[in-house]
Amino acid sequence: MNDILLLGPESLAPYLWVGAMLFTFGIVACVVRRNAVGYLIGIELMLNAGVLNAVAYGRFRGIQAAADAQILGLFAIALAAAEAAVALALVYAVFRTFRDVDLDLVRTLRS
Amino acid sequence: MSPSLLLFWPLVALVVAASAAAALARNLVYAALSLGVCLAGVAGLYLFLQAEYLAVIQMIVYVGGILILILFGVMFSRDLLGTRTHPGWGARIQGALVFLVVGAAAGRTAWVAARQGMVPASASPLSAVRSDPTTWVGNIATDAPVHLGSLLMDAWLAPFLVIAMLLTVVLVAALGLVRKESA
Repeated sequence: MNDILLLGPESLAPYLWVGAMLFTFGIVACVVRRNAVGYLIGIELMLNAGVLNAVAYGRFRGIQAAADAQILGLFAIALAAAEAAVALALVYAVFRTFRDVDLDLVRTLRS
Repeated sequence: MSPSLLLFWPLVALVVAASAAAALARNLVYAALSLGVCLAGVAGLYLFLQAEYLAVIQMIVYVGGILILILFGVMFSRDLLGTRTHPGWGARIQGALVFLVVGAAAGRTAWVAARQGMVPASASPLSAVRSDPTTWVGNIATDAPVHLGSLLMDAWLAPFLVIAMLLTVVLVAALGLVRKESA
C-alpha cells in the first residue's frame, strides 16, 4: 500500500532542485527582510533545505545511509528548535530595548 | 506516469511556491503561514523519501513548535503589514541579484550532483523494491523507527547526549535572556 502510493521519483535530482530553491529563497529572505522575524524565516528555510538534501542523499545510497541521514536530520531539527528559541528570546530582548524588531534600528549593543 | 508521481510534482510545486511566498510576502503573517505550508510540504517530501519518522518529527517540531514561536515573534513587529519596512527598489534589485547568483550556484550543484552518477542503481533501495518488495517494506518502511531508535542508543549515542545537554543549556539561556532585569 505504502510503497505504491508514496514512491517518489527514482532519481535524486528533483529533491536536490527543491533543496536548491529552498536555500535560495532562504538567502533572499535574509537579504531583503529588515524585520528580525522575517530573517528568522529565511534561516529556517535554509536549514530545511540542508536537511532535505541530507535525507535525499541518504535515501539513494542504501539502507544504512538512509538511517544515518535520518538521524542527522533529527539532530538538525533539534538544533533548529534550539536556535529558534534563542532567536525569539533575542527578538524579545531587542523589542524591549528598541520597541521594534526592525534590524536597521539595532546599531548599538545598549540603547 | 505512476500515480505516486501525480502526487509528487504538485507537492514540489507547493513547496517551492510556499517558500517563495515565505521569502517575499509583504505581510509578515502571510510569510509565517506560508512557511508553515512549506514546512508541511517538506514533511510530505520526507514521506516520499521513506523517512516517515522524520516527517512526523518535522510536523511536530517545526509546524507545531517553531511556527508557533515565529507567529508569536511576529506580534513584536510594529509594522506587520510591511508598509514602512518594505524593501525599496535598491533592496529589491539586491534581492534579485542574490536570487540569480545563489540560485545559479545551488542549481548547478544540484544538476552536477544528479548527473555525476551519485545514484548507483545497484545501491539504490528503489531497485530493491522492484526485485523483492517484502524485504524492502520489512527493512525500511515498517521497522524504520525501531532501527532508528537502536541506532540512536548505539552508534549515535554521544551526539544524542550532547544535543540533550545543549537543549537544556539553550532552555536556561533563553529564559535568562528574556527575564526581567531586577534593578
